[in-house]
Amino acid sequence: MSQSRYANYVDYGVGIGLRIPHYRHILEKKPVVDWFEIISENYLVDGGRPLQVLDQILEQYRVVQHGVSMYLGNASRPNRGHLRKLKALTRRTKTPWLSDHLCWGSVDGRYTHDLLPMPYTWEAVETTARNIREVQDYLELPVAVENVSSYAEFHMSEMSEWEFLNEVVERADCGILLDVNNIYVSSQNHGFNPMEYVNAVPSDRVAQIHVAGHTKFEKYVLDTHDHPVLDPVWKLYARAIERCGRTATLLEWDDKIPSFDEVHREALKAAKFLPKADVRAVA
Amino acid sequence: MSAPSRKSPLAAVQSAMARAVMRPLGPREEMQRENAEAAQAILKPNDRLTSFDRLQIYNQQYWWRLLGTLAEDFRGLRAVLGERKFDRLAVAYLTACGSTSWSLRDLGQHLEEFIREHPELTAPHHPLALEMARVEWARVIAFDGPENPRLDPQRIVGRPASRIRLGLQPHITLLELHYPIDEICRRLKRTEADPASNAVSGGVRPRRLRVTAKPTAKPICLAVHRLDFSVYYKRLEPEAWRLLLALRGGETLERACGIAFANSLEAEQVTTSKVQGWFALWMRFGWLCERC
Repeated sequence: MSQSRYANYVDYGVGIGLRIPHYRHILEKKPVVDWFEIISENYLVDGGRPLQVLDQILEQYRVVQHGVSMYLGNASRPNRGHLRKLKALTRRTKTPWLSDHLCWGSVDGRYTHDLLPMPYTWEAVETTARNIREVQDYLELPVAVENVSSYAEFHMSEMSEWEFLNEVVERADCGILLDVNNIYVSSQNHGFNPMEYVNAVPSDRVAQIHVAGHTKFEKYVLDTHDHPVLDPVWKLYARAIERCGRTATLLEWDDKIPSFDEVHREALKAAKFLPKADVRAVA
Repeated sequence: MSAPSRKSPLAAVQSAMARAVMRPLGPREEMQRENAEAAQAILKPNDRLTSFDRLQIYNQQYWWRLLGTLAEDFRGLRAVLGERKFDRLAVAYLTACGSTSWSLRDLGQHLEEFIREHPELTAPHHPLALEMARVEWARVIAFDGPENPRLDPQRIVGRPASRIRLGLQPHITLLELHYPIDEICRRLKRTEADPASNAVSGGVRPRRLRVTAKPTAKPICLAVHRLDFSVYYKRLEPEAWRLLLALRGGETLERACGIAFANSLEAEQVTTSKVQGWFALWMRFGWLCERC
């Protein structure tokens, strides 16, 4: 059994991101997969093939929604039109929780379509927590916020990233989607100890964990999601699982996407780190 | 936009960074020097990257992501204009209009209007480019636009045509074209022959293709629509096209038929038979619905 209240104490095991190149394989072969994570925005449409495929997937699999454009860290309030569509989709998918990123991305109605890093200030803590509370109240679902990978730090920051994350989730009373690859990427770009980050996260708030691949460039590391998970990320994952217990885990692979079987094989590597259901986590 | 001094520190820094991120890239796809001051004011350097370098990562990602999306959604337009001219148009469009939706699906929603207002950006291919942009946006609508419950014929049986008003599925776009855009699109699709072209892999650009076309002798009446979850182009007789347009405009069936055949010299028996045939086809396609 899962130890996560966000999953209603249901064991979600290891899932993979539902991606278009795999549609046919999944629908025809019906592989055994613990669950799929969908990018909500891909299905916030009024009709056509995306919803048809989603309905077929929902007939056979558990689905959890993950968003990329709620921009919970925006100085402005959440977009109600977006939330209305999102709520309709949550009723369709029956997602037990919903995640999006701890970031900002639009200003005055203009969208960057990027997950821009937050300045870690007290004002940002309050603003982001207010937005998350508003979203949770509107959607009537638990929200989990994902730490993003970043390439920049703000002069105005007043705390570390993990301190910021902890303050936000406490004030918002929400969950965390802990992306251990993003922690690793940011640690390389900003020179902090990634294990310190993992150790600082409140384990009882971790609803889900992401693992993914990244790419090293000469002067920075980029979160590319285009190849297998690297060893330092598995080490962080192992520690996160040690602290959080069995937690819904998902592999993200978004670019240069290989066959379904290859992605699934990579995801299932996470299973060896997961304790048996009756083993308690250590904080 | 309100004056920066009236914004909270968080709103001010987000405005300043968004402005810098959305500023077009300079030569060699590098960030423009005009962003240097904002970079220094907002971001810390580290031992490997200056503030400028760090902001440049976001500036480049913004443009590569949005240009990649437009190139993907408007492959035909790109093939008409060529890569360089398409990129100039796309940068001008995004600079002027940006993205005003949380969904990248909507990124091209104002492109037709922008091309119409800026013919110099598509010259000397302006008429062809404009029509291609219209068809390609219609394709986006046909792909995932809404579908209303199909018309139940029993509901109109016995009602006089003067009292019947019918709806047309919202995913259908009716276009009058002067170039064979439907044929060009089919040809492009065959030529691309890329089975993974609908992959989510961001920024992957389609193969370089160029197309040209001559205007057709007569206008083409086209419906871009969805059938069994696939997008199709259907050429229509001008009378059928006018009839559908009139129905969509809210005319009664009787009045719509009158508009469709206003200049026709055909006998009533012939036109009646044609209308019956069209309606049978449109019902099979699920094009007709109750008026909302």
